[in-house]
Order: sequence, then C-alpha cells, then structure tokens
Amino acid sequence: MRISAFILTACLLSAGAYAATRPRYGGILRVELRAPFETSDPPQSGFGIVDLSHGFQINLWEGGRRAIFNADDNAPGGRPFLDSVEIQLSRPLREQSLDLETGKADLIELGPNEIRRAPAGRKTWSSQPVRIIALAFNPRADDARVREALALAVDRATIWTVILQRQGEVSAALLPQWLSGYAFLFPTAADLPRARSLAAGAKPLTLAVGDPMLRTIADRIQLNARDAGITLTVAPSGSPADIRLLEVRVPSTDPARSLAALASAFGLPEPPHTDSPEALYAAERALLEERRVIPLFHLPDVYAVSPRVKGGPGISPLGEWKFGDLWVEAPRP
Amino acid sequence: MTFRTRLLLIVTVAVVTSVCLVEWLVSATTRERFERLETQRVDALVAQFRSEYERRRLEIARAVNGIAASDTAVNIAAKTDYSTFYADAASLAAAHGLDLLELVAADGSIISSAEWPARFGYKEDWLTSRSNVSPLDWLARGAFLRREELPDGVTLAIEAVGVATAGDRLIYVVGGQRLDRAFLSTLALPAGMRALLYRNLQPQFTPSELIGGDDAADLRPLIERVERDKREAGALIGAGASAETVHALPLAGLDDNLLGVLLVASARRELVEMEAFLLKLGIAFASFGIVLGLALSGWATARITRPVKRLAESARKVAAGNWGATVEVVTADEIGQLAQAFNRMTHELVEQRERLVQSERVAAWRELARRLAHELKNPLFPLQITVENMRRAREQYPDQFDEVFREGSSTLLAELANLRQIVSRFSDFAKMPAPAMHPVQLNDIAAETVKLFAPQLEQAHITARTELSPNLRTIMADPEQLSRVMRNLTLNAIDAMPKGGTLTIRTMPHEEGVRLEVADTGQGLTPEECERLFTPYYTTKTHGTGLGLAIVQSVVSDHRGRISVASEPGRGASFRIDLS
Repeated sequence: MRISAFILTACLLSAGAYAATRPRYGGILRVELRAPFETSDPPQSGFGIVDLSHGFQINLWEGGRRAIFNADDNAPGGRPFLDSVEIQLSRPLREQSLDLETGKADLIELGPNEIRRAPAGRKTWSSQPVRIIALAFNPRADDARVREALALAVDRATIWTVILQRQGEVSAALLPQWLSGYAFLFPTAADLPRARSLAAGAKPLTLAVGDPMLRTIADRIQLNARDAGITLTVAPSGSPADIRLLEVRVPSTDPARSLAALASAFGLPEPPHTDSPEALYAAERALLEERRVIPLFHLPDVYAVSPRVKGGPGISPLGEWKFGDLWVEAPRP
Repeated sequence: MTFRTRLLLIVTVAVVTSVCLVEWLVSATTRERFERLETQRVDALVAQFRSEYERRRLEIARAVNGIAASDTAVNIAAKTDYSTFYADAASLAAAHGLDLLELVAADGSIISSAEWPARFGYKEDWLTSRSNVSPLDWLARGAFLRREELPDGVTLAIEAVGVATAGDRLIYVVGGQRLDRAFLSTLALPAGMRALLYRNLQPQFTPSELIGGDDAADLRPLIERVERDKREAGALIGAGASAETVHALPLAGLDDNLLGVLLVASARRELVEMEAFLLKLGIAFASFGIVLGLALSGWATARITRPVKRLAESARKVAAGNWGATVEVVTADEIGQLAQAFNRMTHELVEQRERLVQSERVAAWRELARRLAHELKNPLFPLQITVENMRRAREQYPDQFDEVFREGSSTLLAELANLRQIVSRFSDFAKMPAPAMHPVQLNDIAAETVKLFAPQLEQAHITARTELSPNLRTIMADPEQLSRVMRNLTLNAIDAMPKGGTLTIRTMPHEEGVRLEVADTGQGLTPEECERLFTPYYTTKTHGTGLGLAIVQSVVSDHRGRISVASEPGRGASFRIDLS
C-alpha cells in the first residue's frame, strides 16, 4: 500500500511537471548506473539499457565506463524528444547522489541508504517491487532440516526495516504480492526456537554473495544463522558455496510466465502453466515446499530524477526505461 | 722430567692462565655492558610503547567524546526510531579516524556499527550490565583494551565509551582503534629490535594471534608464563647468533583480564658476534702470548738452569769418583751460593776422604797387625814350647835329648811351614796382578769349577746344581782370576754348609752383560755380616784369613763388575756378580 501511494505521488508530480512545461526536442539525458557492464557490446537482454533500443541507436560503447545513445530519427513510434542519452557506468550510489545534487547527472539510481538521505521533495521514479532477493541452496545441500532452520532463522522484518529502510516488501513468495495477490499467504515470520531445534548438529555452510549491495544482508543472515546455531560463512561470489544470495528480476506482468522464469532462474523445476490463481499458488507452494529457495524480499527499481527532466515517469511498473517521451529543460540563464 | 721442562711448563701454564683470565674478564665485562645496553634499549622501547599506547588512549577518548558531543550523535539520541541511522557509524568512524565505532542505545542494543554493519539490534551487554558504572563514569574511565568481535573473527582494540545525551535520552558511542600490526609499525624500533604483539583472544594459545613475527612456537612458553603469572617476564629465545632476548609485557583489559602480551625482542647477534670476535682475538693473543711466553721462558729457564746443570754435572763427576770436581761461580744469587756450597762440600769431601783413607789405612794396618799377630802367634807358641822343651831336655834329660830334639825339630819344621803358608797367603793378596783380558765363556768356568769340587762336594754331602743359560754372551775377562773367584765362592759355600745342602751355580744374561749367582742353603748371614763380608781379613770362620771374599771383590772390581750378597739367617746366602 505504501509503495503504491509512493508511485501515485510520483506520477502526480510528473503529471504536474508535464502540465507546466511544453515538450521540446533536443537535450541530453545524463544517466548514472552502478552496474559496470564490462562487455565489449551493449547488453542484448534484461532491463534498462536494453530498453533504449526502442527510439535510440548506440553511438559509443565503452564497457565499464560509459555509453552514448543518440535519438533514432526513424524510430517506429517517432523520434524521441531527447537528442541523446549519456550513461556513466560503474558509478557508486553515493557519488550518483552527489552528482545529482550538483547537477552533473539527470537520472540516478537510489539505494536504501540514498533514499534515507534524500532531501525532502526530491523527484523519484519507482517501479513495482520487481526484484526478488532470495537464498538459493546448492543441489548438494540435501539436509532439509537445515534449509528449514535457516528459513526460520532469517529475521526478514529487521532487515527490511533497517538495511532496506522499508523499501519494497518482505516476502516468502517468489511472485510479488502486486503480481500474484497471494504472496501474503507465505509466512515470513522468524521462529528462532524452532530454527535452533532443527539446526542441531548442522554442518557449517557457506553463503556466496555476488552483489556488494547485498553484502550487508548476507552478513545479517549470517548473524541470524549463528543465533540459530548454524555456522554460516559469507564468501565472495564465484567461490563454491552451499547457498547463494541472489537477486532475480520479475520478467513479466504475467504471473505464470514470471513464475516459470523465476523457477528457471533459481534452478527449480518448471511449474505447470496455468491461469488460475489457485493453481498458481499451489504451483508456487510446491516449488518452495522443499525450501531449496528461500524468498526474502521484493524490491522496486528506484531512480532519483533531476527537476530538469520532464515528461516522465520514464520507467514502467516492471522497471523498463521509457525515455522516448522525456525531454530536458535547458538550464535557466 | 727435567727441571728446565718443569720450569717451562710452569711458566707456560702461568702465561696461558693469565691470558685466559684476561680474555674471560674482557668477555664478561663486554657481555655485562651489552646486557645493560640491551636492557636500556628494551626499557626505552617499552616506555615508547607505553607512551604511544597512552597517546592513543587519549586520542581515542578525545575522538569518541567528540563524536558523542557532535550534533549527529545528539540528533540520533533524540530520536525514537534508530533504524535510519544504522549506517551512520561508518561515516562517523572514517571522519574521526577510528577503526571501530558503534552507536549503542541506552538499553545496550546496537544502533549502528562501523566494523560490523549487520550487527544492529544486537546487545552490548558489557556496556549496560555494570551496575556500579553510570553512563557518565565511562567518560572518566578513558580508553581501555578490549576484545572486539568482528565478522571475520576477533581483534584487540583500544576503545573508549562516550555518552551522547538529548534531554533524558542517551546513546553510547563506543569507538576505538585496532591494536594490530599498524600500531606496532608506529613504534620507532632501533636496529636489531622488534616488537611483537600476542593477542590473547582465543581460549588456547593460537600462533596466528602473534603479530609481527612467525616464531610463535619459540615464544609460546614465555607468553604462557606471562598469561599465567600476569606480570612482566623475560627469556632468551633461540641459540647462537639468532638468539634474542625477549621482554614480555602483559596488557590487561577492562576487567584486568589479560588480553594481550607485548613482546620486545632484542637480537643478540651483535653481542654474539662481538663475543666471537673477542674470542678470536683472545685466542690470537693467547697464542701469541704462549709462543712469546714459551720463547721467553725457554730463554729464562736456560739461563736459570745452566748453573744448575753445571752443578748437576759436577755432582755426577763427584758420584763417579772425581771428588775434586768444582762448579764455576758466576753469580752472587741463590744459584751462586749453591755453587759455592757445592764447591765447599766437594772440598770438604776430599778432605774427609783423605782423612778417612788415612784412618782406614791405619785401621787396616792395625787389623793387619792384629791378624798377623793372631796368625803368627799360633805357630810361635808351639815353636817357643818346642824350643823350651828341647833346652829343658838337654839340661835335665840329656839321654832323651835326641828323641826330644827329633820330635821338636819335626814340630818346628811343621810350624815353620805353617808360618810360610801364612806369609804366602798375605803375599798373594798383596800381589794381585792386573787382569789379562781374553774372550771368556762364563758357563765353561762354572762347569769346570763344579767338576773340580765334585769330590769335596760329595764328601760334604752337598748337591751341586747348575743352571747355565745357553744364551750367555762371551765377555772379556781374565779366565784365571774368574776361576779363582768361582773357587773362592764355592769354598765359601761348602764351608757354609757343614751339614750338607745344595749348591746352585746360575748364569744368565743381564742388561749388556752376564750375571753369575752362587747360592748355598747354609745358615745364612746377618745384615751386619753382609755389610762387612768383603772387608779384608774379616771372616766368620775359625780357620779363615778373611781374604777370600776380599780377593773376589778385588777381582770383580778389576773387571769393572759388581758383586752383591743377599742372605737371611737360616736361609742360605746368594752371591751375585754382574759383568759386562
């Protein structure tokens, strides 16, 4: 409810801005991203940069550093208002915020800490909670009691309150509540006494975490596990581990397609295709029954936007970039 | 061992001892100086550590109190929801140069932790469980040593506690710095010294907790001693040039629990090398000193012993019979006085010998006179009686005079013959000729003598036994005189065994020459008799002249030989002659 209200507010603000100014052609949208994209060519799948292929053409690509997309005059939906989009890669979130405040950037990502520090009245765009944070067990972790113990040990509420600064939502389901409508049926409360009893005699486990943003969450899970009597060692991504802390994006607004895609991403069996919410719930429940995947949170994509950027919101509920209708006001003389 | 050798040895020992003593003194003094210097260096380093530690404590306490007094901390203290501040500790710690910083609520739960961001919400019970410590007491306590838990293990840190208040609300600010390798690197260590820190953070001794060195195994006994006794200790670690003197300092925590041990190690390489150098130098000096000492002592002893040798040479001459030998007196010292005393002694000896010779000569003459008187008195008495009988018969019994005259003249002739024989024996002794040397086999003479005396021996019931060595060498001697010696000794033996016995004649090689032994089983001789046996005219027999053994000794002496007698009363006597 809180997220919906937040998005509604952002949309109303955008609508207000749209009403106050006229669209105009020209201008460069300066975007900063945390991801490095250290590849020789622009990504061909996923969200964000990929979405620029509608209306823009790649002009410069320096993997890990920057990219420039120019407006495509022959775009099927017409030429975008913007002349180009300049993207700076590998930019830490803290520096992105500073760049936005000092006018060096027009569009930046917002992490939980930056949301907390953001000055009042800052313009933000937020998607629906489309990123699922979950623990995925290695197939060789065959002790179901330990898996259940860890699921019961994780204190999702505290992590969501403090580390995530109440961003997104706590969840024990794969599909987010806004997409499935039944996510609340999966219990999220921690049960430490039961976790302790289940974890008795558990062997030490390793938890691999790839995204540095998730490191603090992993450390907290380590502490939760320790409280339950499970020795959990946090290891960098790439090292062989019993558990991985992953972030997977919901690919579609179609729940069945999304569940199938998520199951595939987490290495779970493919669920039966169905359009019935009850059947979908049953399928998801079956997928999570063995607790090989422990969903923790659903998080939205959140961007802070310079007041000069008009015509938004520039992202869809799924977090796709829609920069075709944006324009940038020229700085006042 | 000669006097000179002995003197040389004494001087050498004295020189070596002196050099060794000096070497030992120099080494001991040097070692003591080094030890003192090393102690000063260690003390200086320990003082430096304490100073640095104190400075850090003050800095940390100041920084923590600064954070506690900052608007940020006061603002946090004023809030009821701390969740938005969970990441603030990291930036505050970085801004104030602290490794560790935690913002802790009044109930002890962590609001924000710089060193372990995920640990928010957990309780720091040590901060709130001290009933006798009020929040403001932490300000007065200053910084202290504490075992701090981190995501990757535990560490040792100097920490201080500050209190930020907003009205009636408060939060604790716990900040500090790690006590680790970086801290040790701030100590200015003199050459040859190193500082190590053992963090006593595990239940058992853990080698990886030793910072600044990889010789935990060697240091373990010292560390454990400090942990046990909780006071400073020192030890010598290692051996030889790699040895170190290690001083260990206990580091106590908030509750006086031992959290660390500072180890200050001072290499002994310099000392060992200096000692080795001194030893080499000492050996070189000692060698030189010994050689020089030997040379000097050789020269000195030669100078000292030369007059002594001359004295010894003169003494040998005196022993050889040259009683007139003297020593040249060249100095007025003790040796010179000794030489003068020697000369005086030989002079007196010569005079005494002359006096003795004269007195012996007189005694000999007296003995000769006594013996002659005794020997001559026996035949003279019958001569006198016979003449008186003949005169008396002529005056009183003229008719029987012829018969008396005839008997008397026979008696006179017999006694006169006896007198002639006595005179002849004395004449023989006086006329002992010089020996005529020829190659002689002593076995032949011995065998001939036994053969010659066989009838007499048989008559006297004496068994003759000869043990003649077949390996006896031929000697140069006068065979006639040696035969006479054998005969005299055989006759003596026969006289010594009136009731029969065994005569043993034995020859054998002896040193460079031969030995002859003539032994009887008679009644033997007393020691006094043995001493006087070879004196001329001394006899133990009633019918002897006392010249037999004197003649034997004279012959043996003329052959440069030696005669001796071994005897005990009742066990016979054995005469032994050595010739070469």
